[in-house]
Parts: sequence; C-alpha cells; structure tokens
Amino acid sequence: MADIEIEIDGNLVSAKAGEMLIAVTDREGISVPRFCYHKKLSVAANCRMCLVDVEGAPKPQPACSTPINEGMKVHTNNEKVKASQKAVMEFLLINHPLDCPICDQGGECELQDVAMDYGSDVSRFSEGKRVVVDGDIGPLIQTDMTRCIHCTRCVRFGAEIGGIMEMGGTGRGEDLKIEPFLAEGIQSELSGNMIDVCPVGALTSKPFRYELRTWQMNSVSNIARHDLTGSNIVTQTYKGRVKRIVAKDNDSVNETWISDRDRFSYEGLAHENRLLSPQIKVKGEWREVSWDEALEFAMRGLTDKVLNTGEANKLGALASNTATLEEFHLLQKLLREVGSENIDYRLNIKDLENTVTLESNIKLAGLEGVDHVLIIGSNPRLEQPMINHRLRKASLSGASIDVINVMAFDFNYQLNSENIVTPNQIAFMLAEVLKLILQASNAEIPEALSKIEASDTAKQLADRLLDADNSVIILGEHMVNNPQASSIAQLINEIAQQTNSTTLNISATANSMAGDLTEFVPGKKGLDANAMLATGLKAYILLDVYPHFDFHHPAQAIKALSKKDAFVISMNSFKDEAVAQYSDVMLPIASFYETSGSHINIEGKVQSFCASVSAPSDVKPAWKVLKVLADLLQLPGFHFANSMQVTSEISNQGHKQNVSNKKLDIKVKRSVNVIWQKSPYAVDALSRHASALQATKIGQMHSASMNKATAKKLEVAENDNYLGVPVSIRESVANNCVFVNTNKPIRGEL
Amino acid sequence: MINNIKKLIKDFSLSELRGGLKITAKELINKKITVQFPEERTPISPRFRGLHALRRYPNGEERCIACKLCEAVCPANAITIESEMRDDGTRRTTQYDIDLFKCIFCGFCEEACPVDAIVETQIFDYAFVDSREGSIIDKAHLLEVGDNNEQMINETKLEDAKYR
Repeated sequence: MADIEIEIDGNLVSAKAGEMLIAVTDREGISVPRFCYHKKLSVAANCRMCLVDVEGAPKPQPACSTPINEGMKVHTNNEKVKASQKAVMEFLLINHPLDCPICDQGGECELQDVAMDYGSDVSRFSEGKRVVVDGDIGPLIQTDMTRCIHCTRCVRFGAEIGGIMEMGGTGRGEDLKIEPFLAEGIQSELSGNMIDVCPVGALTSKPFRYELRTWQMNSVSNIARHDLTGSNIVTQTYKGRVKRIVAKDNDSVNETWISDRDRFSYEGLAHENRLLSPQIKVKGEWREVSWDEALEFAMRGLTDKVLNTGEANKLGALASNTATLEEFHLLQKLLREVGSENIDYRLNIKDLENTVTLESNIKLAGLEGVDHVLIIGSNPRLEQPMINHRLRKASLSGASIDVINVMAFDFNYQLNSENIVTPNQIAFMLAEVLKLILQASNAEIPEALSKIEASDTAKQLADRLLDADNSVIILGEHMVNNPQASSIAQLINEIAQQTNSTTLNISATANSMAGDLTEFVPGKKGLDANAMLATGLKAYILLDVYPHFDFHHPAQAIKALSKKDAFVISMNSFKDEAVAQYSDVMLPIASFYETSGSHINIEGKVQSFCASVSAPSDVKPAWKVLKVLADLLQLPGFHFANSMQVTSEISNQGHKQNVSNKKLDIKVKRSVNVIWQKSPYAVDALSRHASALQATKIGQMHSASMNKATAKKLEVAENDNYLGVPVSIRESVANNCVFVNTNKPIRGEL
Repeated sequence: MINNIKKLIKDFSLSELRGGLKITAKELINKKITVQFPEERTPISPRFRGLHALRRYPNGEERCIACKLCEAVCPANAITIESEMRDDGTRRTTQYDIDLFKCIFCGFCEEACPVDAIVETQIFDYAFVDSREGSIIDKAHLLEVGDNNEQMINETKLEDAKYR
C-alpha cells in the first residue's frame, strides 16, 4: 500500500492508505481515548470515545473506524472534539457504579484514567443506575458486570482469538448484558486474556481478588516456561511474592496473549507443599539440616559411593524438562567432569532407541503465513495454546488443515479433514502419503514402500501437501511412545523434503530444546534414562523430577531408585512422597520466577530472565546448588558468579539432533496402544499446585478414553478403572487405542 | 564613664527585681488560668487531628473496605493494610496498622477515605510505654477507639461539615 500524507492537529503525518485513523495516531503518540478499540481485535466502534474532528465531515468521526484518505485534515483536540468526548464519557458513566475503592481494576482502569481527563467532576444523573446480577463464570475470572461498559472486547476476543464465542451480549438497550452463553461458564484455554482486554473492572482475576491494589506491586519481566512458546510475561510481585501475571507484548513470540497456564500457575509458588529446607535421611529418618550439612552429606555420598571407588560410570543424572538452560548445562557438566555420561532428560519415553527426532524449522510468526498444515498426533489447543493460536490465524487466512490423530479433539478452527487413525497405523498411513508424493515427482520408490497400495485418504493428504506452496507438518506429543515413533519422524522428514514443507516438532514440551542444546543426553559411553533405571546405578542426581508424572513408567522408576545401595540426591521445589521414599538428600530449589536462567522456545530463541522474587526461606536456585556441589567435589570450571556467566559459556557451543537412521518400520500391528497424556494443567509441578487452574474443567481432565471395541478387548466398561483412571467410552477414539488424559498419577503398567 | 555610674546605681537600687516582683504581686491577685489536666481540659477545635479511629456503620458493620487509599496517600508510610475477601464476599482488611511514631497527623488518610472509616479524633493524651511495637496500633485497637468515641467523632465531624 502506498504512503499517503494526512494532517493531524496541523502536523503532516505519513501513513498507509486504508489504515484506521487511530492506528496512525497511536503510532505518532497522539493520545486518543478509547475503550472498545484493541489493536489485535476487530473494530467495533461502539464506545464512541475516540471521536475526532475530520474536516469536511459534519459530525465527529470515531478514529477507530475512520480509514484515512489523502489530504485528510484531523483535529484530535479542538473544542468540538473535547465537547463530544466529554459527552460520551458522561453517557458511559451513567450506568457505571463508580465503586473504584473496592474494584480490583482501580489504579489500572482505562475508564478511571479517561474519566480523569475527560469526565466531569459532578454527575448530572439522578435516576437509578442499572444493576446486573453476576453468575459464576469459572474459577479464573471474576465478573462484576454492573461495571461493564459494553465495549465487547471480551466478546470479540472469544470469537476472534479464543475461537469459541463464550461471552456474548443478550438483551437489548438498557437490558443488554454481557454474559457467557453456557451455564458452565468460560472454559477456553486462553480465557485469562479477557481480564487483560477488559478496560474496566467487569472481568478481573479471581485468584487475585481483593488481595492488593495494583499500585502496590512491582512489575518484573519474565518468561513462562510451561510450553514451547516461552511467552513473555510480567510478574507482579509484592513483598517478595508473585501475586499476579499479565501478558507482555512480543509480536514474534506471544503477541499480546498468554495461555491460562502461564497466567495462573504462579499460585503454586505459595502452596503449602513447597519443600522449604534441605533434608537428609539418617537411618531412614528425615532430618532438616543446614545447606552446608546437606551439601556435605551429598558430596560425601557421591565420593563414597562412586567417585572414590572409581565407579564414576555408576553415577547418573536425570532432569525434568522444566529445568532452565543453565541448570541443564551445569548438571551435565558436573557429570562429564567426574567422568560419567549417564545423563538424560527424556524421562517419559518408553524406548529411547525409538524416538521422534525431527527438527523444527519454522518460526512462530511464520506459522501464520502457511497455506497448509498437517498435524500428526497432537491436540495443540491444549498442549501448545500459543502455537495453536498461530495455526488458527493461518486457518482464518485460508490455510487448509489436515489432522491425523488417535482421537477427535475439539479444534477451534475449520479442519479440512480429521483422520482418526489407530496409533499402529499412523506410520503406514504416512508411508502411503510418501509413496504417492514420490510417485508424483517420478522419484525412485524405496523398497520398503513398494508394496503399499495407497488409500483414498492418503491420496487426499498427499495431494494437498503437493498443491501447497508453504506447508508445515506438525508432529505432536501423542507420538512419542508410538511403537513406530522413529519411523514416523523419518517419514515426516522425508515427506517434508519431497514437498518443500517445513516441520514443527512439538512432541517434547517446556524447556526440552535446552536439554538438547546443552547435550543433556547420554554420551557415547553413557546410559539413557531407561537403561540407567534398568541396570541400577549406585548414585543419582535428580533435578526437579516427580516420578509419578515425569517417568513413562512411574512404578518401575520408583522401584529402581529405591534400591538399597543407590544414593539419590533429589533437587525439588515441591514435596513428593515418592521422592522422599527413594532419596537420601532432598535439596529445595527455586521454582519458576524465583531463579534466573534461560528458556529456549520452539524456534530456538534463547530468552533469558531474571528472578522476579527471591525464593522463600531456605530455598536456593538450582544453578547455585549445582555450582556449589561441583565446588565441593573440587571440579574445575565452575567459577560462576551469576547465571549469565553460565549462559555465555553455553552460547559458545552448539548441538543438533541427529535424525534417526533406524530401519523404517511401517507394519500395522494389532495390539492395543495406550497414550498417556498429562492434563494440560498437570505438565509440571508448579501448575499441579495452582489451585485455580486445577479447579477448571481442563485442569480436571481425568479419563481413559477408548471406543467400544477396545473396551471389550480390554474387558472394561464405562467408569471402570483403567490404570487407575475412569474409563470413558467414546466412539471418537481410534480402534485399539486408549487415550489417558489425567491430572493425577496413573497406576499400573502402560 | 557616665554610663558606668548609671548602671551602678541601677544595679544597687534593685530596680529590675522590683519590676519583676511587681508582676508577681499583680498575678497574686489576678484570676488563675492554670488548667488542672486531666480533670480540666482546654477547648479543642473540631478540626483537631489526634489519635486515629476506625468507625462502624450504625448496624455494627465496619466501614473500612480495604481500598488502601489512605495507605497510598500517607506521606509518612505509617499505614499498613492487608486485605482479603471475607466469607460473605465483601472486601475487608485483615490487618490495619498505624505506626504512631511515623504518623505526622496530617489528616490525609481521613481526606482520602471514601467511606469515612479512618478518622482522627480529638484524643491526644495517649502513651506507649512498653516498647517500639507499642507505637503501632492495630485494627482491633482502632475499632475500639472508634466504638468508644463514636458520639464525639460524630459531633465534631458534624460541626466541621459546615465549613467543608
């Protein structure tokens, strides 16, 4: 679009044709009051607060819905504008209760701010004010709809960003009410953003209710580490505690939005279950001791058990994927310095010889621009909400989206086709697609694919991949324990190369990318997580591991770690019974927002953050604990004064995942496959301890879904327990597949 | 020289002493103005800003809604408030402390209060004897002061209201 010039308040300003006036004034720093306009939402022009005077127009025009024209002359501050803005303000305040002293929005309220500038000091309204009776719309959002000024930002957010129109206006005129359509209230995984967009105190954070006034808190930027996005957030703290989290703008990462998990998980920090002091186990009894004593004990345990006996290779380190980049680096460095390569963070994978190794080579912002998406084995909406948001944007701008899943999920965009395929058949299906693609380009067909007869579904999938100019293939979490995992990854890699598609591997979440970058994986002589537990080592260092949730087979792992001659050092933020059972030392480490460090997101972007608050009581950041432990073991190269020095050491290195060259296995088997997917709000210890999140419908997911045929085969009925999870019989699940989605530990063997 | 002689005469004639005694003699017979505190008190302006009190509504409900405007406006940072949602869903304080050592009795808290909960009474004769902590009065104490002096607070505020 060509640049044109317009005149605002006597100054010439250049802008792009078709832009709305308010976008130009915002860019130029000219203040125009507004309530309903939001840069990421569609224009509604219903608050009328942004009226400006356009020369030639008989009446003031709303800046948010007035496109600019060449030679336009605009006044934002003359008498006419001021009078109309003041009048609008007076109308808006007619039904507003003015209960600012008890309103949580007080101090950060757009209505309050604008009323200070444009409002009158005396009300001329003596009639009765409208009062709206509030319903409960869920554990995250508090409503006070009497305060609502009907800007409809929340309604538009639901319809345009959230993907489901949960809020809506009912009634008309004086009786217009903004309320959720369903009695269950708001259930979206992005619902917390409605709090941010609401310009008044009608929607506020429920867990934060009445706790503090906004001006009492300090704001510290941080990074949310729950998923692969690394959303930019602002943690608001008071007296050394995180009290609220709001989104921070970063167009290349999370735009203006964050997921509810990122927003409300902070509640876990103050949970009574926090591990607050170092403890050592003496003769089977736990004793609280000082850090000096605990670290001394840990050091002596390590030297006695493995280091002095020359059995350094009997020492292993396991970390969960929530560790920071620095923690991963220090722990693997410590292990490699003492001469052990038994290092692993991939705890939830059944067969580490058979993993989904696939590179991600598309930027988050780039996802918006694709014209075709193939999702394999993922429910991105709940697992990676911000990535799903980008996919939704792509879909809205015309991208076709195909899905190969083991179960029908609730997508918030139009799917081209949703193929529900038995886990054992997915590799075969991809092989069919690959064969068709190879045939189309007259390439040589490898022997493994030669006998395949391609189905119609595969043909459609292949055609769309071939037709698309800019497609992306997404590999999700449900595939990590697929018996043909590595073949699936290989096939995707091959398909992507043949069709010039990009790939996105969202199969490992949180900070897994950092685990790869720091080579927190076994070296050539080292054992992987499963091998360590199977052979039984003499000493372990566990970093933030909660066995019931992190290991693919909790019971086996706990048994292996509980072995009598194993010396286990556990670093955890929260207490855990199983950890207490097998550990010899428990070191309390800082949780999210209490430590400095770095997160690596799906596009490889390293985002470093400082601690927003210091950790409570005797809790220390894990990177410091590891540094001191290394010093006690008299290892060289651990002279770090802060975590940034650790980060700079890492940046000098580099590491890439190797694509597996295992033999392609596309044989369809008949066995039943169990896919264990933690509920989206149970992915890490912090979210598991966040009470409001746990009270939501998403947080309470606890079911083993399977279809009738599979249930018959497994001899279970509806509501029976399978792996300790109630069975839910749904025909939307593929045959021979059990999809366990739970917020609680599972029991028994997968 | 002449001045020295004048001074000598003045000193030896005890003229200054006699001037002083003259006042003493006069006051001996004048009306006494000494106030026998605490039995007797001098009059106090209704605008006097003394010890703080938290008030209640006539139905016994405390007025304070924990808006923390007094805390924000206090120039001496003497007020500390913690709030929560009470079981009935209303916004209430769990802690309301005023450090009387820090307080400069400016009355801004009273001005800022949207519900006339915190007021400064005419009480000025109080003491803290035990410790530094004794200077911090808490919510219970403040409410007690309010309960005991509601009539006085009402009267003085009413009197002052004419001029506001």
